[in-house]
Amino acid sequence: MKSEGGRTHLNGLTAHVIIRLRLVLALRAKHMYVEFLGIPRERAGLAELQVEAGTLGQLLGALAERCPALGELITDDRLHPSIAANLNGDAFVSDPATPLADDDRLLILSADAGG
Amino acid sequence: MPFGYHGRYLLIDASTGESDHIPLSETVLRQYIGGSGLGARILLDENGVGSHFDSRNDSRPHYRIADPLSPAAPLVFAFSPLVGSPLTTSAKFAVVSRSPLTERFNDSLASSGFAISGKRVGCDAIVIVGRAPMLSVLVIDDGNVRLQAADDLRGDTCQVTEEKLRARLGSDYRIASIGPAGERQVRYATISHDGRHAGRGGSGAVLGSKNVKAIAVRGTKRVEWAHPRELTELSRDLSKRSFGPATAKYRELGTATNLLTFNRFGTLPTRNFQSGTFDEAASLSPEQLSEAHARTRASCVACTIGCEHIYSLGDRGVRLEYESLFALGSLCGVGNGDAVLRASRRCDELGLDTISTGGTIAFAMECVERGLLDEPWLTFGSGDAVMQAIEVIGRREGVGQLLAEGSRRAADEIGRGSIAFAPQVKGLEIPGYEPRGLQTMALGFAVGARGADHNRSGAYDVDFSDKVDRRHATLDSVRHAIESEDRAALMDSLILCKFLRRVLEDFHGESASMLRAVTGWDVTPDELCETARRIVAAKRQFNLLAGWTPDEDTLPERFLSTPLPNDPEAALSRERLQELVAEYHRQRGW
Repeated sequence: MKSEGGRTHLNGLTAHVIIRLRLVLALRAKHMYVEFLGIPRERAGLAELQVEAGTLGQLLGALAERCPALGELITDDRLHPSIAANLNGDAFVSDPATPLADDDRLLILSADAGG
Repeated sequence: MPFGYHGRYLLIDASTGESDHIPLSETVLRQYIGGSGLGARILLDENGVGSHFDSRNDSRPHYRIADPLSPAAPLVFAFSPLVGSPLTTSAKFAVVSRSPLTERFNDSLASSGFAISGKRVGCDAIVIVGRAPMLSVLVIDDGNVRLQAADDLRGDTCQVTEEKLRARLGSDYRIASIGPAGERQVRYATISHDGRHAGRGGSGAVLGSKNVKAIAVRGTKRVEWAHPRELTELSRDLSKRSFGPATAKYRELGTATNLLTFNRFGTLPTRNFQSGTFDEAASLSPEQLSEAHARTRASCVACTIGCEHIYSLGDRGVRLEYESLFALGSLCGVGNGDAVLRASRRCDELGLDTISTGGTIAFAMECVERGLLDEPWLTFGSGDAVMQAIEVIGRREGVGQLLAEGSRRAADEIGRGSIAFAPQVKGLEIPGYEPRGLQTMALGFAVGARGADHNRSGAYDVDFSDKVDRRHATLDSVRHAIESEDRAALMDSLILCKFLRRVLEDFHGESASMLRAVTGWDVTPDELCETARRIVAAKRQFNLLAGWTPDEDTLPERFLSTPLPNDPEAALSRERLQELVAEYHRQRGW
């Protein structure tokens, strides 16, 4: 680990191992929660949903099936550029291969968050 | 004269009512386009800094930027080549001056018919200097200027002023006016038109200092387009795309929907930035407000988006935006939707910037909480206190005299370390984005020419993406902040509404096509990138001449010494911000 500006970063090897572990774990479907905010909430007609998926792409595919009203916001396994996804309130994610873990919370919101 | 322009601005001396047309060269127009850019150029010229100074053999001294509330201070209403075209959202104008709140460059934008009618009087900008001998209305009828006494309008709200003047002068006039706050030179007073406001930085106080209650414009002078057929096709395509998912948020919920999103991310400024979450946020959400109040939609002239969401309250509606909702709601700890709607409406009537009003009141509430200000009624969470504070600010009565000066001057007066939590940058109150949790935006706030502002830097867009870690800015964040600032400068000069920003997939390419169709210039995307940098540099040049020092590019101490209480990860040290600002200056070549 190394420190920069008072913060701590994982070194390359540790980060690599963690990513591999998450990818392996992603091979099986996980239970997770999807929270909708703004327009996605309007379209979905609900604030929250429980979904099973191993990756972001799988999750978006499942959402498109379960909430057809989200149709124009999800193309294949990606979100429309006006919509963003965030994992657990921390990192924003867009790569469909992003692995998801049990009890992750995926927030789906309008990307232009400002006024 | 280039297509899309009149090639001149109208200079009016409010002291006498005399006016003159000043030519604008094609070079200047191409370099600064219109709106904020052209306004900045004219502001420099009219302060005796630019090229016109020499050509007009003016006797005013070089490099003296007038006090913003003095008769010599110019107030510029700048239009753009796109105004009057069929391009959606193009009916906009910029009001440019030295800010009485920040003493620095200020440009505030508003929309609708005033832009179209103002340009039709036969100029690309209207510049007002001087001070009328009595409260007056400036009537500009197809380029002919006259001053009319307006003492009967004294104390009238913006809306009443507009109604009375259209009844008096004719319904084909378009009116920009100030309310009681502008008359009393509240330092964050607005200029209002058609229910919208050139809101930030106190342009209403500048107009008030000139004893001008309103400007009424009508005209018949149209400009020609270089390639009308191409322009029609571009306009049709842009309008069609503006109905898509990229603008759904604005159409369906309005900007107020940000409130719950920001609360979820812990970035909703609450109780004068003492927290990033607000327990009562749900009661202020558009979903809940809509249950208690009928909601209708409206749009500016020549706009296909229709972002305005108007909530019924009594016999009239209230137009509510996120910035008003956060500033008069969570920032003051008020969770009563009705109270926030009433406060927002009162600000509109008096002609007050809701962000600076809420920011200054929230600051005063914290001062009361800390025993620094003896106004026991002014407490967080009280909607009645917010309303009372708005009234005394608008009238400059009692503690309103102090609060009408904005949070920075109030902190200077109150002393005892209160400047550390005055929510401002360069004197401009911070909008609804918690800087510690949105650190690219924090940089945008720190370096902004007009102070902390979400319209001149949209860096929050980057923070809400996978391009950066919003709570841990790195030097890589700097280029994103610069890109955002440049893009805003260009949109504010073309002028196009920023709600189109995700519609324009190839922003520079599409902007170049529009400008080509209107002007006939062989504009390239690269040229527009250079133009944007030039416009940002012009604002900085003005600030340098107005006394800017590097120390101003920072944030209040609170943000640099205390992590967000609800999110310890969201911390921004002074050293880190200084590194980011230094890198920003380096990349700008300053």
